[in-house]
Amino acid sequence: MDPRFDDADEAFRREVAGWLVRELGGEFAELVDAGGPGREHEHVEARKAWERRLGRDGWIGLGWPEADGGRGLSWQRQVIFHEEYARAGAPGRVGHIGEQLLGPTLLMFGTPGQKAHFLPGILDGTQLWCQGYSEPGAGSDLAAVSTRAELRADGWHVDGQKVWTSLATEADRCFVLARTEPGSTRHRGLSYLLVPMRQPGVDVRPIVQLTGTSEFNEVFFDDARAPAEDVVGAPGEGWKVAMGTLAVERGVSTFGQQMGFAREFERVLAAARAGGAADDPVIADRLLDSWMQLQVLRHTAVMTLGAPAGSTPGTEANVAKLMWAPWHRRLGELAVDVLGAAGTVTAGPEVDELTPAQRLYLFTRADTIYGGSDEVQRTVIAQRMLGLPRGPA
Amino acid sequence: MDALFGDEQRDLQRTVRDLLTREDPGPAVWQRLCGELGLTGITVGERHGGAGATTVELGIVLAELGRALTPVPFLQTAVAATVLDRSDAPPAAEVLPALVAGGLVAGLATPAPPTRWPTGSGPALTGVLDNVVDGPHLDLLLTPAVVDGAAVLVAVRTDAPGVTRTTLPTLDRSRPQARFALRGAPAVEIGDAASASRATDLLLAAVAVESAGAARFCLDTTLAHLRTREQFGRPLGTFQALQHRCADLAVLVESAWATARHAMWAADADPAGAAVSAPLAKAYCADAFRTVAGEMIQLHGGIGFTWEHPAHRYFKRATSTDLLFGGRAWVRSVVAERAGLPAVR
Ligand SMILES: Cc1cc2nc3c(=O)[nH]c(=O)nc-3n(C[C@H](O)[C@H](O)[C@H](O)COP(=O)(O)OP(=O)(O)OC[C@H]3O[C@@H](n4cnc5c(N)ncnc54)[C@H](O)[C@@H]3O)c2cc1C
Repeated sequence: MDPRFDDADEAFRREVAGWLVRELGGEFAELVDAGGPGREHEHVEARKAWERRLGRDGWIGLGWPEADGGRGLSWQRQVIFHEEYARAGAPGRVGHIGEQLLGPTLLMFGTPGQKAHFLPGILDGTQLWCQGYSEPGAGSDLAAVSTRAELRADGWHVDGQKVWTSLATEADRCFVLARTEPGSTRHRGLSYLLVPMRQPGVDVRPIVQLTGTSEFNEVFFDDARAPAEDVVGAPGEGWKVAMGTLAVERGVSTFGQQMGFAREFERVLAAARAGGAADDPVIADRLLDSWMQLQVLRHTAVMTLGAPAGSTPGTEANVAKLMWAPWHRRLGELAVDVLGAAGTVTAGPEVDELTPAQRLYLFTRADTIYGGSDEVQRTVIAQRMLGLPRGPA
Repeated sequence: MDALFGDEQRDLQRTVRDLLTREDPGPAVWQRLCGELGLTGITVGERHGGAGATTVELGIVLAELGRALTPVPFLQTAVAATVLDRSDAPPAAEVLPALVAGGLVAGLATPAPPTRWPTGSGPALTGVLDNVVDGPHLDLLLTPAVVDGAAVLVAVRTDAPGVTRTTLPTLDRSRPQARFALRGAPAVEIGDAASASRATDLLLAAVAVESAGAARFCLDTTLAHLRTREQFGRPLGTFQALQHRCADLAVLVESAWATARHAMWAADADPAGAAVSAPLAKAYCADAFRTVAGEMIQLHGGIGFTWEHPAHRYFKRATSTDLLFGGRAWVRSVVAERAGLPAVR
């Protein structure tokens, strides 16, 4: 039983589940459990087709206002969609950066013209986006970005370098945080630009990850162009826009993520039973801890993320991230530990031929880094939620 | 069914917090809690003179009592009253009005594992119930027992012949304990095996939510200290090493509160789910509370090691919470068993 949903919601759940079973049973069967953070390289072409199928059948932009092409569904229904999506093992989305980051940003800060121009391509799954925030000199300290852009008569001219840009090889456009006021520092003088990726001034170079695969890239801008009107918010106000994106995320996708975690846990448990590790009291204890913590994650999300906006300090997402990222990493450790020596043998001789347990083990090392590292989350929680004073700069 | 924290719950929280900060802990508080606010009967149906609320509201009250560490036998009495009210066994009508008015103190023993349950034939019960929380105050003792070969939930009057009570000196002075030796003590059956297990689950959930409230107080007090205490020419709270530790504590406090509240919600609304979420909440919240209370001592430095400072009272309450009510290992083994996970012992 669940305190969040009523009978009509549960009927919607059956509709979602039915659609997923149908679609993943046929031409998209190879996509079950593919993709996801750190694994964006998997089955990219098929996942692009999947994105268009989602769009065609109206599963993108569920919570967006109907006036903007969304379905205006309740928070509960969005949660249900994400839960069923994960329960079915549907693939990691290639369109999530557009749907979950750029779309909400445009809904909040975009002009009617920008919304009309960019939202349809996200909603029908044909336009993919990537996020151009991090730079070699600006990671946790995002306000240190130094990519420059200048507005001339023929539009924006962009120069600089981004790094760790996920899906940049696939994306049609990139939202770029760039310094547009020469001589400005920190949070001032930044603008949020929408830059086409397929143009001579943009060079994308894949970076090989410790997994032997490559999802993120270096992106070089050498006199790259963007139309003058493709700046979100006022020029110079880009920091506010970039931060606003983070605030819109009320965590509906968290529940889907937890459903996926539950599937992963079940596989680790099954492996522990099959190989006999479950009889080891230390392993049994770790399995219990992992399972309990997963329930705690869920209860915490149910109790805090469902609260009406404005009724809470707004740091729930930080608390959630600082709970799930280390949890997931520990699950990855458990996944190889239950296999013992066998956990060290790969599925084949190529560097990227990892077993599922090894993939979980290695890919979860990224969870505590991207999207605000654990350390950054702790600082945000301490200062914004707990009100502890900032130290000397 | 309002599991989320709404305005009414906030009002209740404020009322109880005001009372507990205004009054000196003593007999007067007990009188106000029962008589004036009727809180021992908060979950009891109106036909028995209660307020007819759910276990969610009871959880709000318990968290405040945990916060203040008020030494009253409230948790036990309110849990017993809820158990009796939901059981609808004949003794309920008889004792509930007195429980609601505060004229009778009741509580539940948690002899775990079941091999420690008292046994009996007919109404005469024999066995030893050790470490019964609030034992010195109890007029009515509920316990799981094996009567004529069947697991049941029974009630025993503590002044009955055949009941010997020994008060135990306790590390946690805010939570007294007693040992009850039963030799042919008269017992009344109030429920079957399932009600016995539900009663224990409710007690575990109640203890969890009390712990969550107490843990939050420990964090709040620690944060206040770190904001004002200066060393090296600046407030301690500006040091990142301490900020990050506090953030970890905040995660524990928030997640314990959510987990405990969920368990209190499930107690009335989702009995099947409560069988897992109650022991899980007890195990998690007691552990979290112990961690936060320990950090409270550490982050206060020398003052945190004094008798005068409240930190040690919370530390000791956290310890007793973790080790009592069946204890940590037993509660964890119950979670593993009910969740279908490999046995942990
Ligand atoms: C798989 C993956 C995908 C990514 N995808 C994208 C993407 O699509 N677009 C994008 O823009 N970025 C992306 N990133 C980048 C990510 O946002 C950054 O890696 C992250 O913000 C950390 O920055 P950094 O790598 O420069 O590390 P640094 O900031 O140099 O941090 C190094 C270490 O120091 C710690 N640290 C830093 N500052 C402090 C401080 N003040 N106090 C205490 N500790 C501190 C960090 O926690 C970390 O442990 C991705 C990263 C990964 C791993």
